[in-house]
Amino acid sequence: MLVLFALLLSVVFLLPKQSRGLLQNIGNPLAQVIALPLGAFAALDRSLMEAWAGYLALRQVHEENRRLRREILSLRGQNNELREAAVTSQRLAALLEFKERVEPQIQAAQVIGRDATNWYRSIVLNKGEQDGIGAEMGVITPAGVVGRVVKTTPSSSVVLLITDPNNAVAGLIQRTRDEGIIEGTAQGRARLKYIPLLSAVRVGDTVVTSGLTGSFPRGLAIGGITRIEKEEGDLFQTAEIVPEVDFMKLEEVLVITSALPLQETDSGKGSMSAAPAKKRVP
Amino acid sequence: MKLALYAGLVLGLVPVQMTVLHYVSLGGIRPDLCLIASCLVGFLLGELEGMLLGLLLGFVQDLFSAGGLWLNMVTKGTIGLLAGLAVRYLANTTPMAILGTILGLSCLSGTVFLLAVRTGGGLAEAMLAVRSVLIPQAAFDAVLGAGLYWLIANRVRTAERVETSPSGLGL
Repeated sequence: MLVLFALLLSVVFLLPKQSRGLLQNIGNPLAQVIALPLGAFAALDRSLMEAWAGYLALRQVHEENRRLRREILSLRGQNNELREAAVTSQRLAALLEFKERVEPQIQAAQVIGRDATNWYRSIVLNKGEQDGIGAEMGVITPAGVVGRVVKTTPSSSVVLLITDPNNAVAGLIQRTRDEGIIEGTAQGRARLKYIPLLSAVRVGDTVVTSGLTGSFPRGLAIGGITRIEKEEGDLFQTAEIVPEVDFMKLEEVLVITSALPLQETDSGKGSMSAAPAKKRVP
Repeated sequence: MKLALYAGLVLGLVPVQMTVLHYVSLGGIRPDLCLIASCLVGFLLGELEGMLLGLLLGFVQDLFSAGGLWLNMVTKGTIGLLAGLAVRYLANTTPMAILGTILGLSCLSGTVFLLAVRTGGGLAEAMLAVRSVLIPQAAFDAVLGAGLYWLIANRVRTAERVETSPSGLGL
């Protein structure tokens, strides 16, 4: 039996591509079967939470509070878009050039679970390949960026949050237009790395997506800068960011389906596609 | 009966882990039900069944986790196997011995994850992950696993007593 197990391990490690293809083929139908109890448990979880919050904590006040919170999130997003549009139009007007902004296609999805382990900060959505969702697509809410899709099955997808240390997104400081890379931290926050030393970044500045690469269009809010680290001898500054999105209260998200994946994945043949969480700038 | 139990575990454990388990989380850390199940099956039914169930549960976990499609499968399979082997060398399978064994196995699994997942953050971040994820989860797994083992073992002992007593009533 030990020999059998050792053989299995060696197949997994020596033939990673082949074993992954095999696992993907087996995983597809299994994931669809498990999606049924998962959906049931997600509904139970949702109803438990709603019962607790709704009936025990003054139902009407809670409902109104929730509506207003959604409105605030939506307005924050709009406000951010307007600010971004203003900055953009100023710059473009100065150049006497206008470029039409391309609106991304989006797909709404419900959050049905959290990562199956404690080692990743990720969420599971109730939409997958059947709904046009694929690996490397960006995920947002009206308030800002949530993360990127790293794994899909026909009926579900796994989204790695921007607060996960394995995630990296290209971003820029809205006021100063300095670009950098946003990474998650072990503490569950995010940080903007590689800010030029001469940048006039300050606490309170808003960080948005730079739109330089595939998953996210330019100008989506990521978060606000709360701390700036500048050590002697370093070539760059680093800023700590508090994300705009409250990841503990995520219920619905939007997946940007029009974005092109950065690199090829093994998702051909209509099978489950996976881009395991590795540090990569989408 | 056993097949139905395994099917129930495979279909039910991961969805529970991903959805309602946050109600019993401590500081955001949830116990790993698949690891506990693999350990208990290894303890009670032997290393082969522990390993097979571990492989299957780990694979299902991998389908709904952000990591690669092998990490949980390999670690849970190994844990099930080691649990079955470890129980052979325990003189008395008391809850405390089981607690210690699960604690060790969970730490081992956590170390594999730490090495596979958090490699780029440096020593400080690795130590933070040990303090904030690895040790709390191992302690949680150990307490829950030992408690479940105690319950199952008590139930099995009671059933055996009833079967072996002359009156059939366990008297």
